[in-house]
Amino acid sequence: MSSSPIALSPAALGAPDRRLVSLGRVRGMGVFLVLLGVITLFGLSLSIPPSEHAQFLLTAPPAVSVPPLSMPVRWVNVPLAVLCAALGALLIARGRRRGTYLIFGAGTVAFLWAFLAWAARGGTLNFEQLLAETLVETTPLVFGSLSGVMCERSGVINIAIEGQFLAGAFLGAMIGSATGNLWLGALAGGFAGGLFGALLAFLSLRYGADQIIVGILIDAFCLGLTNFLLAQVLTPDQTTLNSPSTFSPVAIPLLSKIPIVGPVLFDQNVFVYLAAVLLVVVNVALFSTRWGLRVRAVGEHPKAAETVGIHVLAVRYRNVILGGVIAGLGGASFTIGSVGQFSSDMSSGLGYVALAAMIFGRWRPLGALGAALLFGFSVSLQSFLAVLNVGIPSPFLAMAPYVITIAVVSGLVGRVRPPGADGVPYRRD
Amino acid sequence: MAMNHPPVPETAPRARRGFVRSRTLAALAAGALSATSIAVGVASASTHLPSSGRRAPRVAHAGGFLACEVTDTGGINDESFNESAYNALKAAKKVDPSISYTYLSSTSTSDYVPYINDFVNKHCGIIVTVGYDMADATAAAAKKYPGQKFTIVDYEYTPTIKNVLALHYDTNQDAFLGGYLAAAMSKTGKVGTFGGQDIPTVTIYMDGFVAGVRYYDKINHAHVVALGWTPAAKRNYASGSFAGTGLFTNNFTDQGLGKTDAETLMAEGADVIFPVAGAVGLGAAAAVKQAGPGHYMEWVDTDGCISAKQYCSLFITSVTKGIVPSVETAVLAAAHGTFHGGNYIGTLANNGVSISPYHTFASKVPAAVTKELAKIKAGIIAGKISVDPNSYPAS
Repeated sequence: MSSSPIALSPAALGAPDRRLVSLGRVRGMGVFLVLLGVITLFGLSLSIPPSEHAQFLLTAPPAVSVPPLSMPVRWVNVPLAVLCAALGALLIARGRRRGTYLIFGAGTVAFLWAFLAWAARGGTLNFEQLLAETLVETTPLVFGSLSGVMCERSGVINIAIEGQFLAGAFLGAMIGSATGNLWLGALAGGFAGGLFGALLAFLSLRYGADQIIVGILIDAFCLGLTNFLLAQVLTPDQTTLNSPSTFSPVAIPLLSKIPIVGPVLFDQNVFVYLAAVLLVVVNVALFSTRWGLRVRAVGEHPKAAETVGIHVLAVRYRNVILGGVIAGLGGASFTIGSVGQFSSDMSSGLGYVALAAMIFGRWRPLGALGAALLFGFSVSLQSFLAVLNVGIPSPFLAMAPYVITIAVVSGLVGRVRPPGADGVPYRRD
Repeated sequence: MAMNHPPVPETAPRARRGFVRSRTLAALAAGALSATSIAVGVASASTHLPSSGRRAPRVAHAGGFLACEVTDTGGINDESFNESAYNALKAAKKVDPSISYTYLSSTSTSDYVPYINDFVNKHCGIIVTVGYDMADATAAAAKKYPGQKFTIVDYEYTPTIKNVLALHYDTNQDAFLGGYLAAAMSKTGKVGTFGGQDIPTVTIYMDGFVAGVRYYDKINHAHVVALGWTPAAKRNYASGSFAGTGLFTNNFTDQGLGKTDAETLMAEGADVIFPVAGAVGLGAAAAVKQAGPGHYMEWVDTDGCISAKQYCSLFITSVTKGIVPSVETAVLAAAHGTFHGGNYIGTLANNGVSISPYHTFASKVPAAVTKELAKIKAGIIAGKISVDPNSYPAS
């Protein structure tokens, strides 16, 4: 980074932010944990009859079997509540020091544990499956937000993720079904996404059109186009064109046998592994390579980048098309990586959620992963809460993933700063 | 593509007007994109017309009869009520070849009003709107155009509107049979249901399903539990309130979430899944198939072995409502001048709702269960068996 020819602070270029969390925010987190502790103590512990137990299932094949965890809810939740509140008090007492997030995270886990035990009281919670579904719900969001990172770090806003998802899902299903080769289907999904990435790049870079408008138009266009082609092409020939098989889970030897996390992380289909690999690759490439430095320079200050000899438009074209390819692959995961069949509007707005995850993640792959995991966990949690019949009205459960994500992220992340030239057309003059 | 399709609706120029100010080619290209995306919806409709869409009104005036469907956001190929209503239009044409038909596929709830207006301007003989969500738009249009005939699937107006035939189905009656059958087939003692949205046309199914399970427990002294829906204990059942709490995907499009919800139900022990979520149920079918032997499901609205035949081997039965016959009857009545507005209620008694044949499960469902189902059906028709879940204790 020090060899950078451009005079920008490391923070501006997106290097890890080493500043400490502000005192106000630390105190806010502390008060929040204390409150959670109090709620847990009175609402989720002392109100439960001492005899009531909750059981967590912790085993799924192919992992080594672990016996279910059976807990007396009251006597587990009281210490958890105290721990949660104590960690909150600790945060307030410590003030601005390293490790704030770690302590806050520990407090949140204590609360979640107590909450799940309360929700499963008198019954069983398949904790293993809760984690597995979290990862499944997170995967397309990771593709989507990586696509966003690729585009926006180079200075082009990609609202078209949703449309690229749909295009990738459609072509992935169609080619995967017609050829009987799922790998070709995945390639086709990437191609379809890349195609609309290229369209976004062409209209916004060649002609300087408003990127947000073009992005939204691409979304609307992809929705209409896939609906049209579904009705006219796929449905009349459903068995040939719209019934691909799906990628089966591939268990990684040994690792998949680890209890609890093994099946969740290491017995997944190829899209989950691909998302993980892409996450690492994009993160390293963006922050530790010359290529990434150039991309970020173009996204922050294209004029400065141009003066040192970087071809701004070429970088942007490349990134926006690559971003489209990544989103298209994510789209293919909806069909050949999951349910095996394309249906109308099947991405259902997850492209926009991915975009939000990227913003909440401060335009960083790992940050976006955090936000996506939080959303994925909330979605699968609400599914389990509805089945466990905790008595929360369905509309509130439906809101929960969005509310939790917004609340946590805005509480923890605070103000975010986009790349300096994000969304600004570049003109050489 | 936009250039090749003359029947661009009135909305297209409006969408394009915003771009005229901009000088760049990009804006023009973007405008063309938007026009294309709208034209696509119409193109798909106009391909079904005997002549071009623009000539349709003249055909109508010449004595032909045009039946027009506005789908809800699930789209025309939802393998559920939108598709059923469309099949009804096709069936009506088979009966009376002078009938032609077309449709517009809503991509968002804001399409309902303009699409209905488009069809009014096209002089459709009858406009078929689909779904509870379209009730307000349909009622407003019916009041604005009192001469236009409408029929709406899945709604009941109080008071009735004289130019709207509202088709409504007591699907808790056949879902009761489905619930009983699911409970009888369950090996784990748990069955599960989830809905697309917490709205009465969905939860009425879930209510009936849970009631059927509870009835099974009561008369067989069993303890099968229904997961995913808990009817409210205190409610005014007669008023058509199907309140409760349960599991919903909150849309009719996200198959992935349907898969997740089915996996949750199975993770919590259910081995028979009843999704009430249109195309989202396909995601549940993918999950049930992946879960392997010993996991089954029941399809909803239409006979799953016809509308989603790739998953036929998973379906014990389908809890159907007779959208096709009732819409077909409404269209034919409108075409032949015998149309009357009001409410139609489909029940087990008039075959407006029913459970489908077992198909691949014909040899697996015990004869005693089939016999009992016939008895229950007669009991419901006679009013001797209540389909209110609160009539039976929950286990």
